[in-house]
Amino acid sequence: MRLALKILVVLVIGTVLGLAATWLFVIRGAMPGGVSDGPWKTNLLIGNSGGDMMTRAAVAMHGLLALNRSETVYYSTYTDNSGANLDGACTYRLSGRDLPARWWSITVYGADDFLIANPQNRYSISRTSVTRDASGGFVATIAPKASGPNALPTNGETFNLTLRLYNPAAGVVADPAHVALPSIKRVSCP
Amino acid sequence: MSAREWIGWIVATLAVATAVHIASMWYLPRAVMHVAISRMGAVNAIHHGKRVDATSRGVVRPSPDLLYSTCPFDLSKGVLEVKAPVPPDTYWSASAFDANTNNFFAINDRNIGGQPLELIVLPPGHTQEPDHIAGQLVIHSPSVRGLILFRTLISDEKQFARVDAVRRQANCGVLQPSSSGG
Repeated sequence: MRLALKILVVLVIGTVLGLAATWLFVIRGAMPGGVSDGPWKTNLLIGNSGGDMMTRAAVAMHGLLALNRSETVYYSTYTDNSGANLDGACTYRLSGRDLPARWWSITVYGADDFLIANPQNRYSISRTSVTRDASGGFVATIAPKASGPNALPTNGETFNLTLRLYNPAAGVVADPAHVALPSIKRVSCP
Repeated sequence: MSAREWIGWIVATLAVATAVHIASMWYLPRAVMHVAISRMGAVNAIHHGKRVDATSRGVVRPSPDLLYSTCPFDLSKGVLEVKAPVPPDTYWSASAFDANTNNFFAINDRNIGGQPLELIVLPPGHTQEPDHIAGQLVIHSPSVRGLILFRTLISDEKQFARVDAVRRQANCGVLQPSSSGG
């Protein structure tokens, strides 16, 4: 009887620990990283049949129906250039130049992996929507109540960014750690 | 209980935890995909999503710059036929996902060769191709259930109505009963 009780305790505690690990590392986790390029992270196994179990589970939770790398490469970040977590209360300066792909976009997502409601219905900047400066580069403002041509409002919520490269240049897949991706610098916090 | 017994029980607990963790990670993508497909509506039929905004909660990380159309499929009911015109002057792609979330097929407006999409999706193990599909792309799905997903880029707001009208001409449906296949 005591042995049966011990086995039951092992099964219950083991099950709780196993599910907790899945919740912590996969469900509560983030888009799978693998390769870092500044604050941005990507994993070329996203959408690929050869992806490992952990990558597939993380993509299912945080990037379901992602395309494979020949069609699209996805980068995500939850931090700024300094490595600090992105804070919805703060203002950030996102700056860069056109990215090596047929079409690109940078989209703001909430902690729940969905778009953040805002009065302007502004959720992203892209190759076709971004306003460039005289040098051809762009500067976007990420802030709780951001406004202006390249505004990305966060409504004060915890957020993260996904950068999509549709039909990426060959160099992106060959060396995803050295693509000239936009920088993200914190300007101010309340 | 001796220290040796304690160690034995701890090792057994960790073994159970590892097994549960692996099993749950194996099951998770299948469960998420099953729920996603179920939410999309009737299988073997096309569904055109509305413009993406903050109220779009069907699938995580939707792109607000894309229009999505979906064809959830169940090949136990037969071979799937998919037809879609390619909207002009914008990025467009059709991609296929199996029940385990793998993107096993993708084609876009550039590599389709200027033709409308005519695609046949065969179930796993289906060896006999229908004889009246000459000229159509034929792919084998690794699973019976899955999804065809169309992405159409809204590259120019002025072209939205025209692009939206073209993507809504896409269609999909069962071509023939599965019993006639091999």
